[in-house]
Amino acid sequence: MVVYRRDTRGRTLLLMLVVTSLVLVTIDSGNNGIVNTLRAQAHNLISPVQSLVDDAFSPVRNLANGITKYSSVRDENARLKREIADLHAQQLKTHGIGSEVGQLEKLLDLPTVQGATGIAARVTGGSPGNFERTVLINKGSSKGIQVGYPVVTGDGLVGRVTQVSSGGATVTLIDSPAIGVGVRLETSIATAITQARAGDRQLTLGFLSVTDPKVQKGELLFTSAVANSAFPPDVPVGKVVSSTKSVGALAPTITISTLVDLSNLDFVKVLRWPDPTSTPSGG
Amino acid sequence: MVNRRIRLLLVVISLVVLQTTVFTHLRVFGAVPDLTLVATVAMAYEEGPVSGALFGFAAGLATDLFLSTPLGLSALAFALTGYGVGLFQSGLIRESRGIASVLGGVGGLVGNVIFIVVGGIAGHDELFAIHNIQIIILASLYDALVAIAVFPFVRWAVREADAGNAWPQR
Repeated sequence: MVVYRRDTRGRTLLLMLVVTSLVLVTIDSGNNGIVNTLRAQAHNLISPVQSLVDDAFSPVRNLANGITKYSSVRDENARLKREIADLHAQQLKTHGIGSEVGQLEKLLDLPTVQGATGIAARVTGGSPGNFERTVLINKGSSKGIQVGYPVVTGDGLVGRVTQVSSGGATVTLIDSPAIGVGVRLETSIATAITQARAGDRQLTLGFLSVTDPKVQKGELLFTSAVANSAFPPDVPVGKVVSSTKSVGALAPTITISTLVDLSNLDFVKVLRWPDPTSTPSGG
Repeated sequence: MVNRRIRLLLVVISLVVLQTTVFTHLRVFGAVPDLTLVATVAMAYEEGPVSGALFGFAAGLATDLFLSTPLGLSALAFALTGYGVGLFQSGLIRESRGIASVLGGVGGLVGNVIFIVVGGIAGHDELFAIHNIQIIILASLYDALVAIAVFPFVRWAVREADAGNAWPQR
C-alpha cells in the first residue's frame, strides 16, 4: 500500500512537470515577451563571465591554430595576395558600373547596404547546445543592437541577431536550418533562397526563380533586393560549388559554400538594418 | 535543509555557467556535453525518481534560458530522464566503479533523444536530421566522460549537507 502511494505521487508529480513544460514550450513558441526578458536577464548575468573565459581561451586557441594550421595559413597568405591583385583590377572595372547602379538605386528610392551603419563586436563563444548554429557576441541592446539586425564580416554575410540582452547578443548563422537568405546569382541573374541542413556547412538553393539557370562553378551570390527583406541587398553570401540536375528534376540542385568561415569567427559587424533613423518613403 | 538547497542551487548555477562559457570552447567534432543533464542523472541515481525529475526540471529550465529552442524543452527532457533513471537505479543498479560514466552516457543519450523528438513535434523540424544522430552519440560519449567529475559534485551537494531535504524522498 505504501509503495502504491509513493508511486502514484511520483507519477502525479511527473505529469505536472510534463504539463508545465509543454505549457512553457507553447508560450515560448509564440515569442513571449516575459520569456524574452527572462532570457535577456540571464544573459546579462553571464556575459561578464563569458568575456573573461573568452579572454582566457584566446591565447590557447591562437597557439593551437598556429601549430596545426601553419602550412595552410602560409598557402592561404600567398593565395590572398594573388586575389588582392586581381581584385584591385576588378575594382577599377566595377567602379563605373557601381556608380551607375547607385544612381539608379537613388532614383528608385531603394535602401542600400552602404547606407547602413554598423556596430563592431567580438565573438565570445558558440552555442551552449548541440542542436543550434549560433554564436554569442559581446555587444547588445546597450549599444543599439536589436533582434533582426544582420551580421557581416569583411568577407560577407554571417547571420542575424535572434536574441539580445543589454551586454550581448545571440547571432544565428546562415548555415543554420532555421535561417533562409534571399539571394541572387551574380551572372545568371536568378534569385533563390538558401537552405541549410544540420551538420552540413554547405547550403543548397531552393525556390529558384528560373527553372534552368546557366550557373557556373565559382559564381558569386549576393543578398537580393526585395522589399522588406531581412537582409540588405548586395551583401556577398557565398559561391557556387556545384550544380547538378538529375533526370526528371525540374530544377538543378545548386550547392554553395559560404564566403565567411563560420566556424572561425573572431570579429563581426552588426548592421543597423533597417536603419532606425531612416524614414519610410512612399512610392 | 537550507544548506542543502544552497548546495543544489550552487550545482545548477556553476554547471550552467560552465556549459555556457568554458564548454562552448571545448566542442569535440561539433558536440558539447550536457552538464546539467548529467547532473540530473546523478541526482536521480543518488535520490531516486522524484528528486531526479524535480532537479531535472529546474536544471533544464535554467539551461533553456541560454538556448534558442523553446523554454521548457530541456526541462521536459531532463525531468523525464531524471524520473526514468531514478526508477531504473532503484530496481536494478548496485554501486560499481564505472557506474557514473555508464549512467551519464545512457542518460545523455536518452535526454537528447527526448529533446529532439519533442522539439521536432513542437515545430522545430530542423531537429529531425540524420546529422543529429551523430551529434547525440558524440555528446553522450562526452557526457560519459564529464560524469566522472559531475557525479561526485552532486554527491557532495546531497550527502554532506545537513539532515534535511530540499527535494522529496523517493
